[in-house]
Amino acid sequence: MSNSFTQFAAVAKESGASEADILTSLGIDWTLLIMQLIAFLILVWILGKFVYPVFLRIIDERQEKLDEAGRAAEQAQEKAEEAEEKIADSLQQARKEAADIVATAKAEASQMVEKAEAQAKARSERIVAEAQEDIQKDVLAARKALEKDTISLVKKAAGLAISGVADEKLDTALIKKSVEGAK
Amino acid sequence: MILTTFAAASSEPHISLAAEEIFKLGPVSITNSIILGVIGIAVTVGILFYVASMLKRGKSNFITGIVQWAFEGFYGQAEEIIGDKVVARRIFPLAITMFFVILITYWLSVLPGVGTITVDGIPVFRALPADLNFTFALAIITVVATQVYAVQKHGIFGNIGRYLKNPIKDPIGAFEGILEFIGEFSRLVALSFRLFGNAFAGEVLLLLIAILAGYVAGLVLPFFMAFELFIGFIQAYVFFVLTLIFTSLALATHGDHSSEHSPAHPTQALKHE
Repeated sequence: MSNSFTQFAAVAKESGASEADILTSLGIDWTLLIMQLIAFLILVWILGKFVYPVFLRIIDERQEKLDEAGRAAEQAQEKAEEAEEKIADSLQQARKEAADIVATAKAEASQMVEKAEAQAKARSERIVAEAQEDIQKDVLAARKALEKDTISLVKKAAGLAISGVADEKLDTALIKKSVEGAK
Repeated sequence: MILTTFAAASSEPHISLAAEEIFKLGPVSITNSIILGVIGIAVTVGILFYVASMLKRGKSNFITGIVQWAFEGFYGQAEEIIGDKVVARRIFPLAITMFFVILITYWLSVLPGVGTITVDGIPVFRALPADLNFTFALAIITVVATQVYAVQKHGIFGNIGRYLKNPIKDPIGAFEGILEFIGEFSRLVALSFRLFGNAFAGEVLLLLIAILAGYVAGLVLPFFMAFELFIGFIQAYVFFVLTLIFTSLALATHGDHSSEHSPAHPTQALKHE
């Protein structure tokens, strides 16, 4: 082990002699270096020609899809905002219309109630008037009948009185009977 | 060559700052880091192609989900840091490739056999980020790429103007320009040595823990391996973020100059470091 380290140190010591020795001790071989340089550039060219375009195409496609999705999302956002505005307008309009309808209905209902009340009142008044008229008619008819009966009784009584058959007791009985009959 | 495996506890550790040659392929020496690096890059390419083919067919599973999630997350970060979507898309393949390659090759260093399977006493496998050639190459690519994007944005003279300013008209700006110029080289060194140092230290740490723990190494090592996996992710992420930040700073116009040295993202990124 110590031999190897002394070898390592010896190489370093020798390398102090000249610049060429330094490069040699570090392992720099210009032929190998240029060969590796060219080989690496060829490798980069091969990979850049046949491999990386596949990766880059996928990245580009994905980026394009992301951009499209972003644009679609923006459009959807705009449409959603427009739809929200429309919904808000529609709601406002609907509320206004509903309020108008309710107000109109209330007014119409109130009018209908008033009209119904007026009609009911008129009808009841008419019924009362008709009833009163009927009563009046009945009263008149009763009076007329009573008057007729009275006249008839008076006529009968007068006939009896004239025929001499009647006396005071009979007159009174006849009158009472007539009155009761009139009732 | 004799391929031998040995238990680290019973042998002396072999520690070498430089990647070591295993064999020669013509004039090019193939080092142990290149062997594991090739495996790591093959794994990375395999995973990425597999995920891409699955995604093309519209199929997905756990692996595709993880890779896609990481890719998308880092792409979002790149756009955020750079600020310009067009430039971010152009620099991103470089930065994300660095991330995946560093991550996978770093993680391979915790595999059993790395550092312990040897040929003539030399480990056959060594993590690619533990080879300064690789980290230095990545740093050079990053710095050059930032300069290329800066020239595209400001023009050649505009870009030179970021470093060379009239010391009579703007003495502080001229001094700042010199510091900026030195900063480009310091970035080169910092990027390469940070990654190299962490990966190399990680390998040495695992080796030493294996020796020091002796027969209980099997119980102790998993914790350090998990720690190394975490460090590997952090290093890959730091390299990725710093590449983007350096590009972002290089693209910053003169009006942004005051905010160049204290941007929100660099501070956040360097906190992870």
